[in-house]
Amino acid sequence: MVIRIWKKGVTLTLREKRTFMIFTSIYTLLIFLTSLFWESTWNQGLASLQGYLVLIFLFTSLILSLLYAWILVSRKRRDWATLKCIGYTNKNIIAIVSGIILFTTLTGLFIVIELVFHYTAIYSYLYSADIIFEDIPRILIGLVPIIATSFLFIFVQLLSIALIYRKVLKVRPIIALKRVGE
Amino acid sequence: MPIDKDTMIEAIDVNKEYRRAGAIIHALNDVNLSIKSGEFVIIQGPTGCGKSTLLNVLSGLDLPDSGKIIFDGENIARAKEDRLARIRRMKVGFVFQDFNLINTLTAIENVESVLWPTVLRTSEIERRAITALRDVTLLDRKDHFPVQLSGGEKQKCGLARAIIHRPRVILADEPTGNLDPQSEKEIMDLLKKINNDSDTTIVVVTHREKLNSYANKIIKMQNGKVQSVK
Repeated sequence: MVIRIWKKGVTLTLREKRTFMIFTSIYTLLIFLTSLFWESTWNQGLASLQGYLVLIFLFTSLILSLLYAWILVSRKRRDWATLKCIGYTNKNIIAIVSGIILFTTLTGLFIVIELVFHYTAIYSYLYSADIIFEDIPRILIGLVPIIATSFLFIFVQLLSIALIYRKVLKVRPIIALKRVGE
Repeated sequence: MPIDKDTMIEAIDVNKEYRRAGAIIHALNDVNLSIKSGEFVIIQGPTGCGKSTLLNVLSGLDLPDSGKIIFDGENIARAKEDRLARIRRMKVGFVFQDFNLINTLTAIENVESVLWPTVLRTSEIERRAITALRDVTLLDRKDHFPVQLSGGEKQKCGLARAIIHRPRVILADEPTGNLDPQSEKEIMDLLKKINNDSDTTIVVVTHREKLNSYANKIIKMQNGKVQSVK
């Protein structure tokens, strides 16, 4: 039942193309950058430039997820109120919202994995062909930083979903019975 | 007070007031009424007489300040939100004046949405949605989005959504308020047909007296009170 509601959340996400593409692009960028700086943060600790950047990316992701959840709940208040009228509980609605947010993050993750393959291939080609410029640092992204970053991002998304739950509770089903514009 | 087993909804000494611009408005004032299973009831009255508040309270969307609402044998006046949601999902169908369809879902998905949080199989949900859409003569539009439907078609879709889970009661708040006369007749005929075929209790809130011929009970309201029951 929850899986079905999540799947419907995914359907709703894909039909809101513009919002989906904007947020997916930002998540992709954040996951890519966090993965890029992950290894040096691991070696040099959080109290380094790379460490600060990773923290900034994670914090940005939290703010972004909160913003996404807030947009979803606020802009679709009437839809959620209607669903409550027809028998959805707060948990059912938060399942849809979490389906939308997690799907967007996972899409960003898959895009990053795809990008990393191409990035590594291009880098390796340039390196083997001796056309790497000396002043460009050699940075390759492994699978472990991406997986670790993804787990952190999903944790951050879950945190934002928990924070937005109160806002879902405040949507009263009675709103659905008010006239449009009332 | 003994409750008749045929009684679907009963309001006992129901009061509801709210504040607007600092003033206290008595939306419902000692309302007592009884709706029997299988009845077609129209609640009528001028704007602001409390008819929509009454519908909200009868359906558990709003809680009365005092009194009891006995819905299918259960007092829902003090029920928790999750319990009320479950009662609505299992026993109540809603029809809205503004249709309230989800714009990013197709007609059939809008109808199916009622049953998504249930344990029913997806194939069974789809079968029921197709039956409901056929019943309201909208099957040929099942893959259309709400923006591609006319007002009458949107309301038919709303009606299919209200009947897919075979509710005991359908509550309709000005269901024809945004429709042309032809669509109004179609929707009211469909409600009457559902009432006759499946013995579903229908409660319609409207200010249009010309719809009275569909009802077998008319509750007139004035200033938050039941003025007459015919």
